[in-house]
Amino acid sequence: MKIGLVLPKVPAYSETFFLNKIKGLQKNGHTVIVFANSTEKSNYIASKVKIAPTLSGNIIRVAFVSFFNLMYSFLFHFKVSIRLYKLERQDGLSFSQSIKNIIANAHILSESLDWLHFGFGTMVFNREHVAQAIGAKMAVSFRGFDIGIYPLKNPNCYLKLWGKVDKIHVISNDIKELVLKNGFKGKAEIIKITPAIDTSFFKNNEQSFTSLKNNFITIARLHWKKGLVDTLEALSLLKKEGVSFHYTIIGEGDAYERLKFAVHQLDIINEVTFTGKISPELVKDKLNNADLYLQYSIQEGFCNAVLEAQAMGLLCVVSDAEGLSENVLDGETGWVVSSSNPKYLANKIKEVINLNEIEKNRIIIRAKERIKREFNLQKQQQEFVDFYKIKD
Amino acid sequence: MKNPIKIAIYSGVVPSTTFIERLIDGLAKKDHKIYLFGVQNKKIASRKNIHIISYVNKISKFLLLIKYSFLLSLYKTNEKKRLDNIIFNTKKNSRLLKVKYYPVLYHCPDIFHLQWGKGVEDWIWVQEFGMKLILSLRGAHINYSPIADSRLANKYVNLFPKLDGFHAVSKSIASEAMKYNAALQKTKVVYSGLDLEQMSFQLKEIDKKCGLKIISIGREHWKKGYSYALNSMKILKEMKIDFHYTIVGVENNEELLYKRSQFGLENEVTFIGKMPFEEVLKNIKSADVLVLSSVEEGIANVVLEAMALGTLVVSTDCGGMNEVIINNENGYLIPIRDPESMASTLFKVSDLSLKNYQNITCAARKTIEKQHSHEKMIHEMNELYLKVLKN
Repeated sequence: MKIGLVLPKVPAYSETFFLNKIKGLQKNGHTVIVFANSTEKSNYIASKVKIAPTLSGNIIRVAFVSFFNLMYSFLFHFKVSIRLYKLERQDGLSFSQSIKNIIANAHILSESLDWLHFGFGTMVFNREHVAQAIGAKMAVSFRGFDIGIYPLKNPNCYLKLWGKVDKIHVISNDIKELVLKNGFKGKAEIIKITPAIDTSFFKNNEQSFTSLKNNFITIARLHWKKGLVDTLEALSLLKKEGVSFHYTIIGEGDAYERLKFAVHQLDIINEVTFTGKISPELVKDKLNNADLYLQYSIQEGFCNAVLEAQAMGLLCVVSDAEGLSENVLDGETGWVVSSSNPKYLANKIKEVINLNEIEKNRIIIRAKERIKREFNLQKQQQEFVDFYKIKD
Repeated sequence: MKNPIKIAIYSGVVPSTTFIERLIDGLAKKDHKIYLFGVQNKKIASRKNIHIISYVNKISKFLLLIKYSFLLSLYKTNEKKRLDNIIFNTKKNSRLLKVKYYPVLYHCPDIFHLQWGKGVEDWIWVQEFGMKLILSLRGAHINYSPIADSRLANKYVNLFPKLDGFHAVSKSIASEAMKYNAALQKTKVVYSGLDLEQMSFQLKEIDKKCGLKIISIGREHWKKGYSYALNSMKILKEMKIDFHYTIVGVENNEELLYKRSQFGLENEVTFIGKMPFEEVLKNIKSADVLVLSSVEEGIANVVLEAMALGTLVVSTDCGGMNEVIINNENGYLIPIRDPESMASTLFKVSDLSLKNYQNITCAARKTIEKQHSHEKMIHEMNELYLKVLKN
């Protein structure tokens, strides 16, 4: 089978999700082509990559690129281009927008595929008819921002998609709920395939949980979605109650100033460290030195970092944002606290650090086992192979 | 005044923000000669005693550079050489700096009053040509930027002792700036002043049938603390209080849209984009209560405006807000980052008797008249200038 994967950029080394999926499909004899809007540096990827025409910047260059791609599509892929044009026009698109869509999708129109899979919901805009035009089945993945936040700013943005998509992939049950909430009426099948991690890299050989040092940790982009301000406020409550701790935040992002100010204002400067972005090996090191992982997100697709933390044997306290309550099972493999309420989080942390060792170990072992069993790369690869099987 | 003082009020743009423009007008009426340098983004009518040396586009920028290069070469040859040397040593884009610096050197005001802290390094040179450098200590530039940016903090620590004077918008910011070596004896607190004739007080009644009309006004920025306000609105809804909350100045903010949807507040909360000043005042007047949910402020002008107009204020106790609001007397002060306190205070407001509501708003108007009149601001700023020139 020939499968095209539409992504914003060529997946980087750290993007396990896509790389693993591609590897799995190739292992099973399928061909994968990645269609990206841009390439960043020289990301190594063992599949064919096609980059979308650049239609921004210097106007003369854009005019040239447009003309070239339009001519190319009409000369060498006439049937497909005309089919796309007709489909767009039937759907009420203007002449100029229909032509623009032929130009912008020239790199996809030149391939004949069995499946065209959009890696994020937001990748489908102005491409809703491309799969049909090239005679492929259409699949779309929803992962979080694309269905949780984007439609709030752009209501009804997926209405055109719902009638055309053949299969929908979601990473959690909550995301499935959001797909339904956003107007999907249930014609195509919705299949959940959760993220997975490399359990051979993220493991901790120490079998038992020793003593708690109150070293808390979060790995996250510094972004409002991650609920880091709420987390810091919870920690300042703990400090007021005389609990001693240290909290490390790994990651960078545009909320740095906001967080740094919060740390200052909440008087927890000595208790909080921002490491910035660090290498995977160092991340692993930091996780090894921590005992409690916090992920008190406001919005979250699923969160690989929480999977990794569990695999490494950390106790995890997370919010109930979207996929997190499937990632961690409350009271069984960690704890789930309702989001946006620092007091709840503070109380839960207190409760967890005061648990006896046996209870903590019980949770850790269960979490580790569950991650190994349900979130390993092989399982994910098989699920994607099955995803593309066409039922008769 | 026999010898008018030449004062440059520098914010980088012409016209500047509402409150800086008020200062400019007031000083010009005192017969000082005011110079405004920078980019002009709007046409403005010429006013007595105000000299605008600005550019609007690349061409006028170029012409300005030619004109002042010529004038300086002719009349201030040595000074130009010295300044060129300073520019060379900064290792920054020299043409850009020349456009900014040459007109200032040529007109050589007695006082160069810089409005934003972050620009202090760019303007310290004016002192070498006999100009006095005064810096306004306002909001973000002092209260949190240097906390997240240690290089900026170091710059402040090194340069503040060299400055001739500081204008602080609140006592609180004056003491914050002391951490960066802004000497207290060089600092004068001058509160923001309002044109009270333009802002007539309206003795209001709460229309209980319509539910509580709550408003917040301010640009889209985390420091405004709108996410806490939304948490409060969620609590109010759970308390089954009839209310409507409008945020003016926010349109398409992801975080706030997400929270509104998450809390199911689509019917109770409205976001409206930026609007003209007159419209803002109308909106304040028609609200029952103005909420300031900020985690940081100098002194929020919008609170002063609401107090002048007769709309009750619930404000977080951040920055200099407690220099204006006395809790329970002329408004309500609540702790920062505390949605529960905000909700319970708003509940209290919804339950106020008409008499108590009016007592508070009357007291608020009196505070503004006493502490935030336009005349007082101009008078005190003038005192600061005279003191700096005397030294």
